[in-house]
Amino acid sequence: MNIVVLAKQIPDAEAHIDIGNDEKGLTIEQKFTANVFDEFAMEEALRLKEKHGGKVKVITLGAGKATEVLRTGIAMGADEVLLLEDGAFLNGDGYTTALALSRAAALEPFDVILCGRQAIDDDRGEVGPMVAQFLGIPHGGGITKLDVADGNATIECPVEGAKETIEVNLPAVFTAQKGLNEPRVPPIMGVMKAMKATIPRVTPADLGISPEEAGASGSKVKTGRYFHPKKRAAVQMIPGEPNEAAVEAVRILMDVERIL
Amino acid sequence: MANLLLFIETKDKEPKKASLELLGEAGRLKAAGRYKIHAVVMGGMSEDAKKKALTYVDVLVNITDPVLDQYTPEGFALALAGYAKEINPQVVLASATQLGRDFLPRVAVLLGSGVASDVTEIRWSEDPITFVRPIYGGRVLSEISFTGYPAVVTVRPNTFAGEEPGTENGEYLERQGGIAPEQLKTRVIKTEESGKGKVNLIEADIIVAGGRGLKSAENFRVLEDLANTIGAAVGAARSVVDAKWRDQEDQVGKSGKTVSPKLYIAVGISGAIHHTMGMDTSKLVLAVNTDPNAMIFSYADYGIVGDFAQVVPAMTEEFKKRLGR
Ligand SMILES: Cc1cc2nc3c(=O)[nH]c(=O)nc-3n(C[C@H](O)[C@H](O)[C@H](O)COP(=O)(O)OP(=O)(O)OC[C@H]3O[C@@H](n4cnc5c(N)ncnc54)[C@H](O)[C@@H]3O)c2cc1C
Repeated sequence: MNIVVLAKQIPDAEAHIDIGNDEKGLTIEQKFTANVFDEFAMEEALRLKEKHGGKVKVITLGAGKATEVLRTGIAMGADEVLLLEDGAFLNGDGYTTALALSRAAALEPFDVILCGRQAIDDDRGEVGPMVAQFLGIPHGGGITKLDVADGNATIECPVEGAKETIEVNLPAVFTAQKGLNEPRVPPIMGVMKAMKATIPRVTPADLGISPEEAGASGSKVKTGRYFHPKKRAAVQMIPGEPNEAAVEAVRILMDVERIL
Repeated sequence: MANLLLFIETKDKEPKKASLELLGEAGRLKAAGRYKIHAVVMGGMSEDAKKKALTYVDVLVNITDPVLDQYTPEGFALALAGYAKEINPQVVLASATQLGRDFLPRVAVLLGSGVASDVTEIRWSEDPITFVRPIYGGRVLSEISFTGYPAVVTVRPNTFAGEEPGTENGEYLERQGGIAPEQLKTRVIKTEESGKGKVNLIEADIIVAGGRGLKSAENFRVLEDLANTIGAAVGAARSVVDAKWRDQEDQVGKSGKTVSPKLYIAVGISGAIHHTMGMDTSKLVLAVNTDPNAMIFSYADYGIVGDFAQVVPAMTEEFKKRLGR
């Protein structure tokens, strides 16, 4: 079985983020980590391979630190990696990212594409469903269980107030969320192998994408400016014994804030 | 006049709260003469809901293919994009519920567009229209616009002011999406209800969330009582989900859900950034914690230093008294 994982290296949740004076760019502290949902995707891909054979290929789009997520993939047990690296790929939106990743995934026949439910830096959550639509295949969103047999997959997806069991014809895209598995810690041998691995790269031309269709040029959505949300006023502590404080809190919520 | 297309999400043939918010906004845009409003619903609405929706929109379209009786991302995307291609709207609007965020990206690709996901503000009068969305867990807001239309947009629940009664009546249409069952490669096998009657976290006006400070699964009863009294949903920090005190479904935060209620009551939650990333856009936050230095107080408007076991039941009692319940 050919399994493709789409994964992204993102700034750590605690990394400092500064907005430039022109409000057009962000300066982000160089602390990076694999997107948490992509780790669930990676783990599930490896489990599928362990059960059904085949290979796992991890693909990412990006520059610089982006390669780290591919090395994490190799360290965890992926067979192949691919980096979409070119100036023309950069600063794209969900559309151009998904277009490029869908072409890269389809360079070879595949059965399953796994990725995270969303990247928690830009929080778009678009890439999985868009990749599926570009490839004209089904997707299962936010899965917590995946079983594959006879060209079909049975998945579980928690939806509001319910758990659905869904059957999907392969090939298909699945977006992973917490609850699917516990990602393994890469063994030390894997980490050493990953350090030495050479990383193959492709450009838009290799994927049949013109520079105008890639990255910032091809984006349908453009960012104008960044700004900080309005700061919350300093907390007002409600003093008193637990009982008094509780009664006062209810008074504030009802009479001052008029919430209820 | 340009067209605006709304997707109305229903549960048991009633529009979800988040969809009523979209209808309210649509009604205001219609009254301002800004757009001709079209709304699409899959598989019908109750008579009352239909009547009400018709006061906000110009055209209400019920797409009735049997394959749309159950949600599949492929089916809903084909149906909504199919109608959009006919009317060529400037904006396609849906709620950023789990379902909306799942299939609108497919609609966008079908329409050759991108998506603005989980938007928290729309500036209709700017040209091009500007959409604001939080990134990095709400630490930064970005202003975005589309290079061409249609703009496909999902809006975070609780973004638009509530509905106001609409007046004029729109037109009601029934139609088929023309989707053959063979086109769909996704089949729903079964649905197990896990929390009937439970208030949905993403759409809730009020959330009462608990963390490890609650000490046990049983103690969540105290939060359930408060939540039931004030019609709130119950959320949880990851710590208590990992400890299996609460379902994964209830988790708020970076690896859980992003919520934006009018009021978020954080009980026994320390306020780690991974948690606050999921709740920092709540309009008002009240934190209850024994530790006066807990980080959560930096994310709160009001704070009580105290033991949940004393504070929360006293709040519940007081609410009951004042609300006459
Ligand atoms: C990759 C990653 C993703 C994560 N994703 C999430 C996520 O989505 N959501 C999330 O919540 N966390 C997430 N976390 C975990 C997060 O970092 C924190 O560990 C977690 O939020 C802490 O949960 P807590 O506040 O319940 O527990 P604790 O940090 O243990 O805090 C318990 C609090 O309860 C208070 N307390 C104790 N007794 C009482 C009492 N009797 N009455 C009142 N207060 C009391 C204490 O003072 C303390 O502040 C993630 C972590 C990582 C690494």
